[in-house]
Amino acid sequence: MTGLDDAANAVTLRGVRLQRDRFQLGPLDCDIPRGMVTAIVGPNGSGKSTLFRMLLGLEPVTRGEAAVLGTRLDLKNDGSFKARIGFLSENPHAYENSFTADEKARFASKWYPSWDWERYRKLLRHFDGDGNVKLSKLSKGMRRKVELSIAMAHDPELLLLDEPSSGLDPFAWKVMLEELQRYMEAGDKTLILASHVTEEVRRLADYILFIYRGRILGLYEKDRLFDDWRVLAVQQQGSDGSGKLQQTPGLQGLSETGPGLFRLEVNEPERAETYCRSCGFQVLGVQRMELEDILGCLIRKEEARR
Amino acid sequence: MWLPIRIDEQRPEPLYHQIEVQLRGLILGGQLQEGALLPSIRELAMSLKCSAITVRRVYQDLENEGLIRTRQGTGTFVAGVDSAARDEHRLDRVAEELERAIETGLQLQCTVKEMEDLFQRIVARKVKDRKEGPS
Repeated sequence: MTGLDDAANAVTLRGVRLQRDRFQLGPLDCDIPRGMVTAIVGPNGSGKSTLFRMLLGLEPVTRGEAAVLGTRLDLKNDGSFKARIGFLSENPHAYENSFTADEKARFASKWYPSWDWERYRKLLRHFDGDGNVKLSKLSKGMRRKVELSIAMAHDPELLLLDEPSSGLDPFAWKVMLEELQRYMEAGDKTLILASHVTEEVRRLADYILFIYRGRILGLYEKDRLFDDWRVLAVQQQGSDGSGKLQQTPGLQGLSETGPGLFRLEVNEPERAETYCRSCGFQVLGVQRMELEDILGCLIRKEEARR
Repeated sequence: MWLPIRIDEQRPEPLYHQIEVQLRGLILGGQLQEGALLPSIRELAMSLKCSAITVRRVYQDLENEGLIRTRQGTGTFVAGVDSAARDEHRLDRVAEELERAIETGLQLQCTVKEMEDLFQRIVARKVKDRKEGPS
């Protein structure tokens, strides 16, 4: 890991801990690279939203060190880094219900020096959103679209999206992907999104950050992850050698799916395959794993460690 | 621009390798002409559901091979390919396919003689089919 002020990273966390009544976030250690899309993936209640609040400077970092866009999140910073961040929260704020999108945008335009009305109008038009209706009167998806337009209108250096597609219909979802692609196009912008939608993670992410019960299970380059994690179906030939499967290189999960038939989850597929063959197993098939199955493996390992 | 690149999830080769081989094939095979503008890194990454890191790596490799070039600010283009390289690629592709067929033959315990006979027969039939055109 590099220093706290490394310009290559949009977010740097070192031993960060937040204690809540019934929940502890951390200790968190990670570097989220600049210019890239990082998806935060984890079950409900993992601490994703709390993490976002912390990155926005809404949760004081009292233990450990954190930096966002080169600014340390300590008591000394003046909060000006917040103007360089765009944020879409998981749930809309009730206190904004009586505003229209245009009214909310007017507030935002005063707060963000880089606010661009032209960009706001373009986004709203592309999303087919209505700026003149009270937010409370909009459907969930429509409200999402206008809030997304507002969050992106100042072309922030860092965009934080908490479950951005929730409520969006497939057409609006496509528009969102197009806009996010356009946003990332310049190469110096950073997008961090929390998402339960596997398809969205597969389309957008360069890196995947797994998080569970307030702890980081790993930060992976997406393609490496899908290249490395595979499930092997093997069949025993002759004498019982199932005990040997426990020693398979890169073994992450093992189950017997039928008499003499085993399903192995591994993250070193080539070595694992060679090993299984050498132990007298026939390899019936090798497949890539789905995101949720990889997460399941990581969670099981974490649970066994606890 | 849309590229006819297909990722086979079940192949053991890593993603970047699959993309690189196919893009190289499109250039050397002449489907992509000199001067053609390639998609941006982010655009191709999203359409193939891979990361920008992978596409950047592929573009860098192909640029090092002289097959594409990047002009600051305007994008990535297909470079001129000399006919010798194109010819070599043509034979490479066929050799690759033949190798796969022969591997299957060996796995099924075919003799060399059997495979040679099969090869001759199939070549003769296909050439004849071609001459006669689609029925």
